[in-house]
Amino acid sequence: MVKPVVLVVEDEPLLRLFATDMIEEAGFEVLQAPNASAALMTLEERLDVRVVFTDVNMPGGIDGIMLAICIRRRWPTIQIIITSGRPWPVEAVVPADVVFFAKPYRQDRVLDTVRKMAA
Amino acid sequence: MSLSADRTDFGAAQRARALADLMVLDTPDEQAFDDLVFVAAKACDVPIALITLLDTDRQWFKAKYGLEVCETEIEHSVCRIEIDQGDLLEIVDLTNDARTKRNPLVTGARHFRAYAGAPLVLRSGAIVGRLCVIDTVPRPKGLSEMEKAMLQALARLASENLELRRIATASERLTALQTALVEIGETIRSSHDTAEMASATAAIVGRALSADRAGFGSVNEDVDTIDVETDWTAPGAVSIAGRHRLDEYGNLREPLVVGDPLVVWDALTDDRTLHNLESAMRVGVRSLVDMPVRDRGKTIAVFFVHSAHPRPWPAEEISFLRSAADRLEAGVARHRTEQQQLIVNGEIAHRLKNMLTMVQAIASQTLRSVTDREAVYAFERRLMALSAAHDALLQRSWTQADLQAVAATVIDAIGFSDRVDMSGPAVALGPRAALSFSLIVHELLTNACKYGALTSDDGHVSLSWDVEVGQDDDLLRVKWRERGGPPVVPPTRRGFGSKLINIGLVGTGGVDVRFEPAGLTADLHASMRHLVQG
Repeated sequence: MVKPVVLVVEDEPLLRLFATDMIEEAGFEVLQAPNASAALMTLEERLDVRVVFTDVNMPGGIDGIMLAICIRRRWPTIQIIITSGRPWPVEAVVPADVVFFAKPYRQDRVLDTVRKMAA
Repeated sequence: MSLSADRTDFGAAQRARALADLMVLDTPDEQAFDDLVFVAAKACDVPIALITLLDTDRQWFKAKYGLEVCETEIEHSVCRIEIDQGDLLEIVDLTNDARTKRNPLVTGARHFRAYAGAPLVLRSGAIVGRLCVIDTVPRPKGLSEMEKAMLQALARLASENLELRRIATASERLTALQTALVEIGETIRSSHDTAEMASATAAIVGRALSADRAGFGSVNEDVDTIDVETDWTAPGAVSIAGRHRLDEYGNLREPLVVGDPLVVWDALTDDRTLHNLESAMRVGVRSLVDMPVRDRGKTIAVFFVHSAHPRPWPAEEISFLRSAADRLEAGVARHRTEQQQLIVNGEIAHRLKNMLTMVQAIASQTLRSVTDREAVYAFERRLMALSAAHDALLQRSWTQADLQAVAATVIDAIGFSDRVDMSGPAVALGPRAALSFSLIVHELLTNACKYGALTSDDGHVSLSWDVEVGQDDDLLRVKWRERGGPPVVPPTRRGFGSKLINIGLVGTGGVDVRFEPAGLTADLHASMRHLVQG
């Protein structure tokens, strides 16, 4: 059976590795991107990505919130999870159905959400 | 000739300023002045006596005996003759004096015939008018020496009364200004928005000074333009919100650059504004004060007050404006510091969260081979409890955290908000107590999920606290009560969790955990003095 594909977007290598491991172990194929533009390039090549799990603050101009808006516009079926060490910006306008987890997050809750979204 | 003209001009200017300072023109009758003219008329045996004040375009009577009008045009004034010489003026036959024989008061129905007036000299030396007596029949012999002496004595009394009246009025004004300053201080303290601070201050200042417009504008580097965001205006006055070039209004820049107030008491006579009246008149500015607001030695803004009428702006009003601008300046600086502090706090919190996530990642990698996943998750949850305490601390800039907020974030992170009731007053915890409390709540909750009340569907926890007021110190008591779980069996060994709980809120115990059959209970207590310490 083909594993559902999840894209992890995180600039901090250790956290990227951690998230990748966590999601891989739960039975998914994981792609990685260190910033939003790399994530968009990956999404253009791989049309089978089901879920994007992204950090908010990343170098390179586009942050995770803008990335989410971008993805929702171009690939409306891709599910999005956002995580951040900062409190959720109240004024941020994000697409509906985006799920937010504050860092540090509980692995079991993140995984539950990924499973639900990929189903 | 030119010398005496100069002296007269000086006298007129000094008189106008002194009169404005007296704040007496157009005020109602007052008994003290009425008595003086009555006595003057009787002492000199004449039908008319007046206290005349010489305004620029009229003479106005503060008190009158035997006359019903309260002012006449300045051209008809006999009192103004030789006023700046400061002597008693006597004209025994007005019809026979070149200066008065064509005066309508003499030629007309008023039938003035004889005049004597003693100058009203203030302590400053300014001469503001005369106490005069008038007869409707000629008095060829004039007043007797005694009558003249009495008239002069009464004029000194009138002058003294004007001074006292001014001091009383000024003291009332001062009290009003001080009240306004207190109000400004309170408004600024309770406000967290600089625009709101500025507009509230402008309104209080405008009302306190009965001005027509007051406001706050930031100036550019070279102090040649001013940006007014909002201004307070009296009914009927127009707002000047927007950008203005200072040179449109005249040569106003210099005092402001060095931080001195710019005071124009009449734009029509002030050299700096005289040649650029059009802009000022368009927005109805006849008189103004611009008080510079300084930051690190530079003028960054101007607090302005405008009046549609000439005003002398006495010293107490200028120092009031200085104080108002100072308070505003301090408020704005405080606000800026707070904003910077907020940003720094946010940044620290962000890094801390990333660090905790990093610890979580390392632990997760290191503990991959551990088969007891529950232990790994327990570690993760303790980490989250710590993180939750930091969240609660961040809300109060790391100095204190609300007890209920700490408990709520921890309970929410584990996911039992609906099964735990919380009640108690607002209690502020210091950073250390907040961290300890978050870990204790976490351990109690974990225990309740694994062995206690929350293992069954009907189980429930109540977390309550109160503060017992003591003589020297107050005591916080926290009660954890579990109900509706399976029968409680005391554990055979003490794990790390129970050790953590037993450290207590401030690291010195004060913990009583009982394995009651109906449900676990835990009582924690600590002195408030210890709890609020860093």
